[in-house]
Amino acid sequence: MGITRRYLLRTGWKIGGGMLALLAGWTSWELLRPLTVAGASGKMKLGSPANYKAGTATFVNQGRLWVSNADGHLFALSQKCPHLGCRVPFCESSGRFECPCHGSVFDIAGEWISGPSPRGMDQHPLTVENDVLIVDTSQKINGPDHGAVAFLTDSKGPACAGNG
Amino acid sequence: MIDQDAVSGEQLRDGLEPDVYPVHEGRWQRLKHTDAWRSMFRHPQLDTPRGRALQGFSNVFLHVYPVKVPRRVLRLRYSWRLGFIATVLFWILVVTGVYLMFFYTPSVTSAYGDMQQLRTGIGFGQLVRNVHRWSAHLMVLVVVLHLVRVFFAGAYKKPREFNWVVGIALLAITLGFSFTGYLLPWDQLSYWAVTVGTNLVSYVPVFGGVLTDLLIGGPQIGQSTLQRFYALHVAVLPLALALMLMVHIWRVRKDGFAVRRGSDTGTVGSFAEGATEFSVDGATTDGAIVGGVAADHLESAGEPVSVMPAATAMALAKGDRVRLLGVVDRESVTAEERQTDDTVFAWPHLITRHVVVALGTIATVLALGVAFAAPLRDIANPNLTPEPAKAPWYFVGLQELLSRFDPLIAGIFVPAGVLTVLALLPYFDKNPATESKYRKVAISIFATILLVAVVLTVIGALFRGPGWKFVPPWQHSYLEM
Repeated sequence: MGITRRYLLRTGWKIGGGMLALLAGWTSWELLRPLTVAGASGKMKLGSPANYKAGTATFVNQGRLWVSNADGHLFALSQKCPHLGCRVPFCESSGRFECPCHGSVFDIAGEWISGPSPRGMDQHPLTVENDVLIVDTSQKINGPDHGAVAFLTDSKGPACAGNG
Repeated sequence: MIDQDAVSGEQLRDGLEPDVYPVHEGRWQRLKHTDAWRSMFRHPQLDTPRGRALQGFSNVFLHVYPVKVPRRVLRLRYSWRLGFIATVLFWILVVTGVYLMFFYTPSVTSAYGDMQQLRTGIGFGQLVRNVHRWSAHLMVLVVVLHLVRVFFAGAYKKPREFNWVVGIALLAITLGFSFTGYLLPWDQLSYWAVTVGTNLVSYVPVFGGVLTDLLIGGPQIGQSTLQRFYALHVAVLPLALALMLMVHIWRVRKDGFAVRRGSDTGTVGSFAEGATEFSVDGATTDGAIVGGVAADHLESAGEPVSVMPAATAMALAKGDRVRLLGVVDRESVTAEERQTDDTVFAWPHLITRHVVVALGTIATVLALGVAFAAPLRDIANPNLTPEPAKAPWYFVGLQELLSRFDPLIAGIFVPAGVLTVLALLPYFDKNPATESKYRKVAISIFATILLVAVVLTVIGALFRGPGWKFVPPWQHSYLEM
C-alpha cells in the first residue's frame, strides 16, 4: 500500500509542527541566553604577594573574591558560597569564613569545616609574575571536597554568625 | 426556594418572550427598554425559573456558573469558598499590580527609588503596595488551603483527575508569581531570597546550568535578572495563570460543582451472588447499609454499599433484616435517580454569597494593608548578605531542609517529587470512596507530608536566626514577609 494523501498530510503537519517548535526554542534560547561579555572575567593584578600577611583574608571587590594567606599559601577564594550563592564574609574573631545563609563554615584556605555546603569554597587560579600576584577570574576551580583538612587550624575565637 | 420559583403563566411567557414584558415607568426602566440596552442585555431580570436560566445562559459572567447547584454548595463549610477567594485575590493583584506598574521601572538604578517614591511621594502608593504584597501572601496560603481541602474532600477523584492536575499547575504558577515579584523592590530582602532561589535551580540535573542562565541572564543577579523577572511577573505568568484558571473553572463547571455524595443518587452498586441478605448495622443519609453477616460476600467487602435510596435506608432500624431481590452486574446499573429538587439557582443564591465573600476578601486585604506596611530593607547590595537571609515564608520550609540535606535532594528531588506525586495522585489512587473513613491510607500519607511541611516552615520562619542558628521567637523574631 502506497503513501496516501491523508497519511502525507498528517505526517506533514507533525513534521512541520515539530520544526516550528524547534525553531521557536532555538530562537528563544539565542535571545535569552546570557551574553559572554556579561560580568567580570579575565586576569586581574592583585599587587605584591607580600601585602597578604599570614592568617589574613583580604576582600577584592572588583573580582568579588577573597585573597587569603594560610600559613604562607595564598588562595583566591570566590566570595560566593558553593551551597546557594550567598556571599561569605571572613570572621576576624574566629579566623574562618562563615556563611550567613545556612551556616556553612570554611577554614582560611576555604576548606569545608561544617554546614550544608557540598564542598569547600571555589577558587580562581593564582600566579605570580614579576612579584605581582595575578588572578584569573575567568576560570573557576571547584573547592576541595569534604574531608580536606590540609590547612585546618583551631578557631582563633568566637564565631561571628549568630552572635550579631 | 421552591415556592419562590413558582411562576405564573404570564411571567413565564415574559421570560420566554422578553419583547412582550410590560413596560414600567421611570427613566431607568425606559433605558432598559431601549434597543441599545437590549443589544447588551438580552433578557430582563425576571424572577422566574425560566428568566433566571435565560440570564445565566446569555450572560458571559453568569455563564461561569451552572444554572442550578446542589443546595449543600451554599453552605460555607462545604468548600470554605477557597477557590473563589483565590480568584478574587488574583484580580486584586491584577488591579493593584497595574496601578504599581505606572510608578515602577525595572532597572537596578531606579527600582529601589521607585519603591521609596511609592511610600512617600504618591497618593495611596504605600497602601496599594501593601495590599498587593499581602494579597500575594494570602493567595499562596489560600491556594494551598484549597488544595488541602480538595484532597480531604476526595474531590480529585474521577471525573476530576485532570482538574486536580490543573490545580497543581496553578499552585506552581502562583509560587512563580510570588517568587518573581519578590525581586522587584530590589532591596536586600528580595535580592538574597532570589539569590538562594535561583542558585537552587543550578542543582537541577543536566539542565541546571541552562535553566539558571535563562533565569538570571548573566553571571549573577543584576539588570538582566530584574528585567526577566519583571516580564515574567507582569506578562508571562498572568497569561499562563489566566489561561489555566479558565481551564480550571471550565472543568469545575463541566465536572460538577459539588462532589457527588450518596444522597444524590438512589441506585448504585453491584453485588456478588449469594449476598442476598444483610443485617442492618446502621444507615446514613448516604443511603448506605453497613454489611454485617453477608459483608464478606460483597464485591467490595467490608465497605458500605448503597443499595437503596437514602429515605428508605433511614427508615430501617438497627437489627432489621432486609432481603435483596435481585443481583445485577455493575455495568448494567446505569440508572441514576438524582434528587433534582434539592438544587437551587446559582443566581441569586450562590452568586450573592460569592459577592459577600469577595467583599470580605477585599476588606481583609485592605485592613491588612492599613495595619501592616510591606517591608522595604536597604537597597540590594551584591557584596553583603544580610543575617539571616531568609526566603519568603512559603519557601522557608525548603530552606530549612536545605540546611540539613544535600541541595540536590532537599532543593530538587523533594519538592519536584512531592509536586509530581501530588499531580499523579488521582491516577494511582483508585479508591472511589470520597469519605475519609474509607481513605485512611491516603489521608495518613497526605497528612504526614503536610505536617512535615508545616513543621519545617514554622522552624525556618520563626526559629532560625543569623547563621541559621536556632533562635526562639520569644527571644528575637526573624520572620521575613
